[in-house]
Amino acid sequence: MNQYKEIEVRLTAENPSLVSDLLWELEPLGIEEISTSILKCYFSEDFQLSVLEKYLNDLRQDKMLESYSLMESILQNKNWNEEWEKTINVIKVSETFVIKPTFREYTPNNANEIVLTIDPKMSFGTGEHQTTKLMIRAIEKYCKPADFILDIGTGTGILAIAAAKIGAKKAIAFDNDPWCFENGVENCQLNNVTDFVEIRTAELSDIPEKDFDLVIANIQRNPLLDLCPAIVAKGKSTGVILLSGLLVEDESIILEKYLVWGLQHIETVTLDEWISIAFIRD
Amino acid sequence: MAKKITGYVKLQITGGKANPSPPVGPALGQKGVNIMEFCKQFNARTADKDGLVIPVVITVYSDKSFTFITKTPPAAVLLKRAAKITSGSAESNRTKVGKVTSSQVEEIAKLKMPDLNANDLAEAMSMVAGTARSMGITVEG
Repeated sequence: MNQYKEIEVRLTAENPSLVSDLLWELEPLGIEEISTSILKCYFSEDFQLSVLEKYLNDLRQDKMLESYSLMESILQNKNWNEEWEKTINVIKVSETFVIKPTFREYTPNNANEIVLTIDPKMSFGTGEHQTTKLMIRAIEKYCKPADFILDIGTGTGILAIAAAKIGAKKAIAFDNDPWCFENGVENCQLNNVTDFVEIRTAELSDIPEKDFDLVIANIQRNPLLDLCPAIVAKGKSTGVILLSGLLVEDESIILEKYLVWGLQHIETVTLDEWISIAFIRD
Repeated sequence: MAKKITGYVKLQITGGKANPSPPVGPALGQKGVNIMEFCKQFNARTADKDGLVIPVVITVYSDKSFTFITKTPPAAVLLKRAAKITSGSAESNRTKVGKVTSSQVEEIAKLKMPDLNANDLAEAMSMVAGTARSMGITVEG
């Protein structure tokens, strides 16, 4: 099919979703619900607008619809995935780290630059978000060669992969979202770190290992508060704990909670409205 | 990980048959969602609903990752299947094109309950029966 008909239907009805359901009588290719009263219906190019008008007039006669208006446009077919790919760019996170999708070529500027390959899919951690950038920069600063790493809420696995790339001996990376497992394993393979990063589907309480040199958690404020004692317990003495997924206004409550558990606050770093916090165990 | 929602996309597409053509391509592409990945995941999750229309709500996050939930097929589609007809009536008040039993209406209402704005099963059945009437399908029994 070279082109499609996109028909925007603006309707006033007591039950708009019922009208949307009934439009399937006309066998559209699909419907996008812009709002409860605006639908974009897609039809093959030979579809006649008059058929839709007649159907909606009947619904109006049956009191299912009060009023409607239609706007028809022709949509040329194109490689939509290619259009999407155009929106995904190479991201320079720091002097060391660059993130690129599989479909972009990138030549490192110098021998020290590390290129991570990640395609945005269903897991968080593509490098676009400020907290991912903050955490990668923090890992670059605090992760030492041969460190043993725990990545809580790993998403794409990007933070554990970054740690492995700068010499971590082993990283255990887990998430409770099941789709993160497949995506994490795929990303470890793409970045050649399968020997160093172990992806699991788990909760923190399922992780038996402890005495980690570096514990990283880019999740959200409430789970970070709830899991505080368990997160702290995973770090070894003198181990570093890096937290993010936090807004600037979350800093005081996080510090209040974590300092009680015997941590020392090293620093808080801000990027736009987001922060990362670094602690060390006494 | 930290998630900040940038938008939602609501689509109705055929189970097991999502592809990058409209509406999926243009709707998701402009939000920065990986179209092929969505199609792969959606088709895998709806493989058992092949051919049925499935409403899906896609949540798009600020780092261009996404999640989605599927809903129950529209009542109109389920009624057509129950009545074994391919199309409803264009003149529902005058032409009756099929019939369903009240137990079939109940079955559809039960299936649709999570997505209907109904207080109880009776109200849900009434909504489904209303859809049937508007399609020219008679409810018997």
